[in-house]
Parts: sequence; structure tokens; C-alpha cells
Amino acid sequence: MSVMISVARNALRHLLRSRIALTGVVLVALLTLAAAVTSRAYQADQAGLRDRLQHAADQDFAAQPNRHPHRVVHFGHFAIRPASGLAAMDPGVEAFTGNMIFLEGHRQNSANFGDARQSSLLVRFGQLSPALVLQVIAPLLLVFIGAGMVAGERERGTLRQSLLAGVSGGTLLGGKALALGFAGLIISAPAFGLLLWVGVNGGARASAVALSALGYVAYLAFWTLLIVAVSAMVQRSRTALIALVGAWAFSVVLVPRLAPEVAAGLAPLPTRVETDIAVQRDLRAMGDSHNPNDPYFAAFKQKTLKQYGVSRVEDLPVNYRGLLAIEGEKLTSSLFDRYADQAFGAMAAQGRVMDALAVVSPTIAIRRLSMTLAETDLSAYRRFLEQAEAYRYDLVQRLNRLQATAVTAEDDAAKSKSAAAESRSRISADHWRSMPHFAPDRPSAGEVTGRALPSLIVLLLWLAAGALLAARAGRRLNRSAA
Amino acid sequence: MNALFREARFLLGLKSAVAAILCLFLLSAVAVGAGLVEVARQQATIARIAPQQAADVAAIADWASREKDPGNAAYYTFHATWDPPSDLAFAAIGTRDVSPYVLRVRALGLEAQLYEGEIGNPEAALPGRFDFAFVLVYLAPLFVILLFHDLRSGEREAGRLGALEASAGSPRGLWRARIAVRAAGLFLALAVPFLIGAAVAGTALWKTGSVLLIVLAYLAFWITLSVVVARAKRGSLANAMTLAAAWMTLTLIVPAIGHVVINSAIPLRQGMELGQRQRTAVHRAWDIPKSQTMDAFFRTHPEWKDTAPLTEAFHWKWYFAFHQVGDESAADLARAYRAGVLKRAAWSERLGLVTPGVAAQLALHRLAGADPSAQIAYQDRIRAFHGALRGFYYPYLFRDRPFGRDDFARAPVYQAAPDPGGWPGGLLLGLVGMTALVAAVGAWWSRREGL
Amino acid sequence: MTSIDGGKAIEIEDLVVRYGERQVLDHLSLCVAAGEVYGLLGGNGAGKSTTLQAILGFIQPSAGRVSVAGLDPASDPAGVRRTIAYIPENVALYEHLTARENVDYFLQLGGLRADRAEMDAAFRAVGLAEEAWSRSVSGFSKGMRQKTAIALALLRRASVLLLDEPTSGLDPGASADFNALVSRLRGEGAAILIVTHDLIGVADIADRIGFLERGRISAEMVAEGPDRFDLRALHDRFSRVRAG
Repeated sequence: MSVMISVARNALRHLLRSRIALTGVVLVALLTLAAAVTSRAYQADQAGLRDRLQHAADQDFAAQPNRHPHRVVHFGHFAIRPASGLAAMDPGVEAFTGNMIFLEGHRQNSANFGDARQSSLLVRFGQLSPALVLQVIAPLLLVFIGAGMVAGERERGTLRQSLLAGVSGGTLLGGKALALGFAGLIISAPAFGLLLWVGVNGGARASAVALSALGYVAYLAFWTLLIVAVSAMVQRSRTALIALVGAWAFSVVLVPRLAPEVAAGLAPLPTRVETDIAVQRDLRAMGDSHNPNDPYFAAFKQKTLKQYGVSRVEDLPVNYRGLLAIEGEKLTSSLFDRYADQAFGAMAAQGRVMDALAVVSPTIAIRRLSMTLAETDLSAYRRFLEQAEAYRYDLVQRLNRLQATAVTAEDDAAKSKSAAAESRSRISADHWRSMPHFAPDRPSAGEVTGRALPSLIVLLLWLAAGALLAARAGRRLNRSAA
Repeated sequence: MNALFREARFLLGLKSAVAAILCLFLLSAVAVGAGLVEVARQQATIARIAPQQAADVAAIADWASREKDPGNAAYYTFHATWDPPSDLAFAAIGTRDVSPYVLRVRALGLEAQLYEGEIGNPEAALPGRFDFAFVLVYLAPLFVILLFHDLRSGEREAGRLGALEASAGSPRGLWRARIAVRAAGLFLALAVPFLIGAAVAGTALWKTGSVLLIVLAYLAFWITLSVVVARAKRGSLANAMTLAAAWMTLTLIVPAIGHVVINSAIPLRQGMELGQRQRTAVHRAWDIPKSQTMDAFFRTHPEWKDTAPLTEAFHWKWYFAFHQVGDESAADLARAYRAGVLKRAAWSERLGLVTPGVAAQLALHRLAGADPSAQIAYQDRIRAFHGALRGFYYPYLFRDRPFGRDDFARAPVYQAAPDPGGWPGGLLLGLVGMTALVAAVGAWWSRREGL
Repeated sequence: MTSIDGGKAIEIEDLVVRYGERQVLDHLSLCVAAGEVYGLLGGNGAGKSTTLQAILGFIQPSAGRVSVAGLDPASDPAGVRRTIAYIPENVALYEHLTARENVDYFLQLGGLRADRAEMDAAFRAVGLAEEAWSRSVSGFSKGMRQKTAIALALLRRASVLLLDEPTSGLDPGASADFNALVSRLRGEGAAILIVTHDLIGVADIADRIGFLERGRISAEMVAEGPDRFDLRALHDRFSRVRAG
């Protein structure tokens, strides 16, 4: 071990005296710091903005005057996606999803005003975040400073001299890997600092912070071992550099881009317009509420009359229009849910295809791990949409029930003809103030960890593969003619 | 000419160089293929929607034509709009995968409909598309670096430099021929698949030519940079490292920092505020005297002033009037939002003037009509179409004309026009300017060092 | 210097090394005893560096046996390397370190340590000018590098020295210094194998000279009397080897 540390110390001393490498490390460390600071500031700003908007929406809703409950169904509400604590580390799909949904009766609106749509094309170059620096830029810098670590010594002849001094190939590579890994830690220190800070300040769970840190350490350790191994296996530093830059371009740039193309072909998604049309078509097939003789609604009427033990709608103790609204919402919502499940099912299938490509690119694994733990992945977004939909359904049905119970059938029927009836059909504004607020809950720590586990295992397998390769390279070094 | 042939033959003998050029050729072929598939998928989607939309309108007409109430027709009928991919979209898909290219609107408040999102998989959009623009902007420079970083140093390290320069009639001619042949190889690897794609997509000649110009200018930048770096008397390893660092800075770091700076300098909060303001304004109408709404409406639409006055009873024209007034009350936010999106795009173009990767990316997307300004143009067309819809329904609503089955067919139909694409002159100029700057710095530097 | 029991520090028996079809060493046998300087002479392609690789454990013999201080380099390269000091034609040192730091680092690689006094003694013993001890080796001449490497060998108490073309490129004064140093090491009981094509240089100090020809020892001469070797006979012999 002490020999390995001597090797590492010597390699670091070499690095310190090489101005290019030192400049690179310092610059990328500064870049990480800038990414951490700006990303954190942006997320804090977003969190504040969204908080304010949600609060304003709640206030607007509560400030409605006396109204007919169905007016309130159409007045609707806004659900705004709260920012997640670790989003500063990895904003994930945040920019590509909408953040605000208008919730109203009979319709399921999309989440709008995502950042990508309102940003310039620059967003497609990747957003500056600690995750981008650690996943994409740090490995390339490690390639630059590490490609010549062993191959360069081979070119200068000191490799042979070192081996003859009695050090084993494995120990030598271990020391080099320690030095390179140390450089990697320096580069990523600001990001780990941010992780710690977010964890301590309560924005993120300790388990997520720890697993995320573990994932990034494993990812960078994999690159470190790969770089040292390749550097030991080739004859020249230039060959090592070209091979490693190629490996980097393939697994960090190319595969993640190709993955969605493959996935989109295998599991295509419908457009919103088609879904809307299909929902309307299915609704008409279930029952046409505009048609007085429609069998579905006739049956519903019979069922309702029987339930209340009366023979005419006029004799019902409640407002039949309200009941109809409840039934109608139930129908439309079931369709919304079905189509949303289909679309999310297709997206999940795409996700599985993309994740499977982690076998050729560890970057896909770390991205999945990091996004999952930051709760900025598709499933966190889906959770938000589903909670917003559940809230919408609950809100609309509460209002429909109010229509059934708090508005008389006579006033409801006459409200569009007579101002007096219209005025009587309005119910007290106290009702709006007592409606629950949209309070999405976060997935449990166990759930997040469970979803993150497969990609963590994949990363650890990559790390093991890197270690095996390095061990092989070390053994070969003992025998190589150096 | 002889020298060119000799160097071409020499290049063909270099296995690594041929492999690199073939690899680039393959990548751009796959990218062009993927782009064509995606464009075909979008066209098929647009084509698939037309009959579904017609059936949807027919079903509404079935029941709405019984009462002949124009309000029902105007309220329930959605009208389709679509933004067909341009003849160059296959090369640069751009924003088409994060914003809808089909959108249905009805004559109600537009601001609540215009920003509707598409059902997209955000995780698929996150890494960006694998299209020709990506291959050119990100990958082609790596191949330039691969082929050019050891142009001279490789020969020197192999100990051949002296003999080579001595045996060539003029060393300058030798290097020129070598550079030209390698550049031509890379250019063809990009241009041939693109030209085939353009032929399949029927791309306009001027756009095809412009893309080739962008490819040429972008390659020229990287080749110039590589040659300038390679001229310094350093080893191949140092050259490769310097160039790869330049690549990382110019294609990853500067655009990412630019994005952060632009987005924080031009915050776009109007979007979310807009939605809330419009909604509140629309629904306020139920709680204020109808005449107040109608007065506001008549101020902007005096042509309906003399129509029959409202009574106590519900009338659709009031309903549509307050939707219109709602839109108008959010108009300043909508304008600010639109201006903000365009301003962000304009600043990214300014960044493009000094960042070749950004310039090539933006220029291709401008030509392909797949950038934010094309998105805004589509929204403008929807806005105009929505205005026509209102113009179509208002006479029925305000003059109480019955709306029969035939009237459904009279509704305006969206006239789709693919974005014509714009000539990215400024960006090209930026590309050429950056190339000239690098060449000038290189020349000055080599004179100073006496190389 | 520790001497080897039984006298035989390097023993090569019937060594065969093949690279594919090409047979580089053809049943090579030679041995070097403790306190002996053996000169292995050969032209280009005779198999000199392959012999060194086999002794150092960098290649696996196709047949035959190598033993260094009783250890087999094929199965225990690390053990063998601990007893050997190999001084190549061009000694590679870490350019960013001083002579002292280089020696210290290479000692650490073998798990060894030397205090300042020991190191000073070694540098003095090999005749490295004192001002150079704490200077970066990037300005060192070939001879200074060689002296640094031999100082390291002394500190490692290596019982076997492999010298690869040690005197080529040295000026006459430096060559004489080097020969004196080698004689001293021999006197302390080291087994020294010098691989070279420098006939005159090796004749000055070798106890025995072997001619390596097409992978085998074609002839061996032993130093005798005050004149040691018959230079003319050596020269004739070597010319024939080279012509072959």
C-alpha cells in the first residue's frame, strides 16, 4: 500500500508540474463550481416563483365570489410543480416538461411553459449543471490528463525502470489510478459540496444524497480505471488518447443520443390531438349527454330514480344536473386515465429500451441514477401529473356534489333565462375557501431508492469491469517487454 | 493537380484515415436516415389526423345541427392546425420534438389554448436528437482533429519530416495538397449522405446549397484551427489535447454557459402569469354586469355594436365576447412572452457570431425552419387562423343566424405552409469571420515564432 | 554487495525463445558467477536484448531454463528483479524530480528506504558531483544518469548487475570512470553481465567474453595474464561473428 501511495504521489507531483494538466483541473473545478452555484441559484429562483404562483392560484381560487358551482368547475385551478431539492445537482428533464397545469372540468390539459420550448436552441447543447460537468466533461478531462500516465512513461523509458525497481504492474496501476482519481475528486469537489449542502439544508434526503454521491464516485472511478488500463495496454500516449476520446465520444455523446431514436421507433407515442379526438369519440360511444334518448344516460336516470325511490326527476331530493355532472366527469376521467396510462406506458417502454443501452454506455446508467435520485426523471413528472389529475378530479367532483346538493333543480334550470334564478343558483364563497389545496407529496425514500437501485448496480458492474480490465493490464505489465 | 492525385492515393493507403472518413460517412448516413424517418413519421401523423378530425367535426355537426345554435358549433368544434416539416427538417429537427406540430383550437380564448404542450417523452428529448446537424456540429470536428492533429508532427515523430519536405518539389504545395485531400474526404463523407437525403426530401436547391456552404465553412474553421495548432512545433499528443480541449470548450462549455446567461438575463415568467391572468379575466365576466363586458368588447370590435342588445337570458355572443376580452386583457403578457422567446433566440445568434458550433447549429435550424422563431411563426399563423375562426362564427352569433350542417363545411380551413426557412447570412458571416480570425492569429503567431 | 552462495549468480541453460516462426535464442547457455564480469558480445539481431528480457522476466522462454540468484524469472519476475540492477543504455529517470528524489522514489517502488547519509555515500561512491545531487535530472548527461542508476543499484544492494551498452556514447574519461566503478563492484562480489558490441571497452574489464551468434554462444574467451585478452584474436573472432 505504501508503495502504491508513493506511485500516486509521484504521479500527482508530475501532474502538478505539468502546466496544461494543472490548468485543466483548475478550470474544470471552477466550471463545476460555477455550475453548482448557478444551478442552485436558478433552482432556488424557480422554487420561489412556483411557490408564489401556486399561492397566487390558491388565493385566486379562494377569492371567487358567490358562484354557481359549475362556474367554478370551469374557473378551474392551477397545479404548479414544486421544484425538487436535488434539481440543483441534476435538473434532469425539468426543462423539457411543463411546470403548470390548468385544472378544469371535462378536460385534461397539458403541463405548459416548459423551459425548453421557451429557450433558444442552446438548450440542446446541454444545460450547465453539476450533473453535466460530472457526467460529460469530467471524464474527458480525466482522459486528457490520464491517457499518457502509463503510456507516456513507457515512451520515456521510466516504466521499465519502475518495474525493474521491483514494483508490480498492479501496484503501479493502482497508484496511477489513485492519483487520477484524486484529480477527479478535485474536479468534482464543488458538486459534492453542493450535494452535501442540499442534504444538510433539508432540500434532499440523506439517502438520495449518499446514493448520488456513491453513483458519481463509481462513475468517475470507472473512467479512472479504464483510462489507466488503456494507457497501460497501448504502446503510445497518442494511441491511448485517441482510443479514449473515441470511447468517450461513443458512450457519453453518441449512445445517449441514439437511444431515443431507437426507443421512438420501438414504442411510438400518440399526439395530444389524436388523444383528444379519441377521448371525444369514446365518450360519444359510451353515451351522448346531448341526446335525451341516449341509452346510457337513460339507464343512469332509471338507476338514480330507483335509488331515491321516486318516479320523476322533478321529485328527486337533489339536483339531477349535479348528478349528471358527477357521472359525466367520471366517464371523461376514466378515459383520460386510460389514455394517459397508455401514453405513459409507451414512454416507460421507451425508457426501458434506453436504459438497456446502459450495457454499452455507463453514462446512461449514471444519468438514470442521478435523475431518479434528484426526482427530476420521467416517473417524478408522471407522479406530478397523476397527482394533479387526482386533485382535479376530486375538486371537480366536490363542486359537482355541491351543484347536486346546494343548488335547487329549479334555479339551475332557470338560471340562463332569469337573473333572479341565476342569482339564487350562486352558492356561498365560503365553499371555495374550504376546498383542499394542491399539495403533491413526494415519493417515499424507499421508493426512490428502489427505482435507483438497478442503475446503481449497473454502475457498480461497470466499475467492476473497469477494475478487472485494470487488473489484467497490471498483470500484463509484469510480463510486457515494457 | 498531380500532387492532389498523389496525396489522394496516399490517403487511401492510410488505413486509419480511410476508416475515420468511412466512419463519419456512416454516422451522417445514419443521421440523415433517422431524420428522414422522423420527418416521415411527422408527415404520417399529420395525414392520419385529417380523417379523424373530419369524423370528429361530423359527429358534432350531427347533434349541433339539430338545434342550429351557432354557439354550440362554435363552442364544441375544434379546428386543426398543423405545421408540416420543411423540406430540410430531416437535417435539423430542432424544436419540433419539444413543441407540438399539430394543435387544435376553437373560437374560445386563444391564450388558454396556444401554449398547449405535446405528449412527448421528456427523457427522450433530453439528450437531443441524432440528426445531421448533430453529426456536423459535434462529431465532424472530432474527425477533423483525428485527421489533422498529427499532419506534420506525425511525420516528424516518425522521422520522415525532413526527407518528405526535401523530396517534395515545394513543401508548401505538399502540405496544401495533403490538407485539401483530407478536407475533401471529410466534406464528401458529410455531403454525400446529405445530398441523398435532400434528393429524397426534395429540398429546395438554395437550401441544399446553403447547407453545403455551412458544412464547408464549419469544416474550414476546424481545419484552420487544427492546422494552426499543428504548425506549432509540438508533439502529436499535445496537439490532440489542445484541439480536443478547444472542441469541448466550443461545443459544450460555451453554449451551456451562454444558455445559462441568456436565460437568466431574459427571464420568461410571463408564460405562467399569462395563463392565470387570462383565466381570471375570462371568469370575472360572470360576476360583473354583462354590459361592462360588452362595452369592453365593442371598443375593439365596433362592427358588432349595433347588434341586438343582451337580455337577462344567457347569450352565446356574450360568452364569446368575454373570452375575447380575456385574451385582450392578457395581450401585453402574450406580447412580452413572444418577444422574450425571440430575444433569447436573438442573443443566442449573437453568441453564434463568435462560437462556430453554435453558428452552424443555428444556421442549419434557421434554414430548416426548426428554431424558436419558426415555432413563433407557427403560433402567429395559429393566431391569424384563430382570428379567422372568430370572424367566421361572430356573424352567426351576433346576428343570431342559424348554424346548419352546411355551415360546418364553410368554416375556414387552416392553410398550412411549411416554414420557408431563412438565409442565415449573419451566422455564416460569423463562421467565416471566426475562421479568418483563427487563420490570421495563426499566421501572425507563426511569423513571430519564425516557423 | 551480497555474494551468491554456490557462485552461480546467472545461469542460463538451453534457452530457446521463439517469436512465432522466428527462433531468436537457440539453446543458449551461459553463466555468470559472483565476483565475475561477463561480456556478452554480439552484432545486431544476435539476440542480445532477448537474452536480457529473459533474464528480467519480460518474456517467457519457449524451452530451457533461466535462474537468477536461484530464482526463476519466468515464474517469479518480481523476486528476480529485486536482486538485479539493470542499467540500460539510456537510463530513464523522472525529469521532474532531482537525482535524490529519483533514487528515493525508485527505492520506494521496491519497498526500500535509504537515509540521507546512505544516499550521500552512494552518490559519492559512484562519483556523481555533489552539486548535482539535488538538481533536477532534466539537465543530466548520459554518464550522470548512469551514475545515478548505479548509485541506486548500490543502495538496493543488488547482487546482479545487467549493463546494456554501458560505454557507448561516453567520452574516454567517463568510460574510464565507469570501468573503475565496475571493477569495484566486482571486488565487492557482484555478478556483472555486460551486453555490448563495444569490443575494446569490454575487453578492459571483462573476466570472460562470450560471442552471441544467431541465438547461441559460438565461442567464449577467458581473460588470462596481465594482457587479459589477445585483442587481435578477439577482433578477428568478432568480425567473423558480425559477418555471419
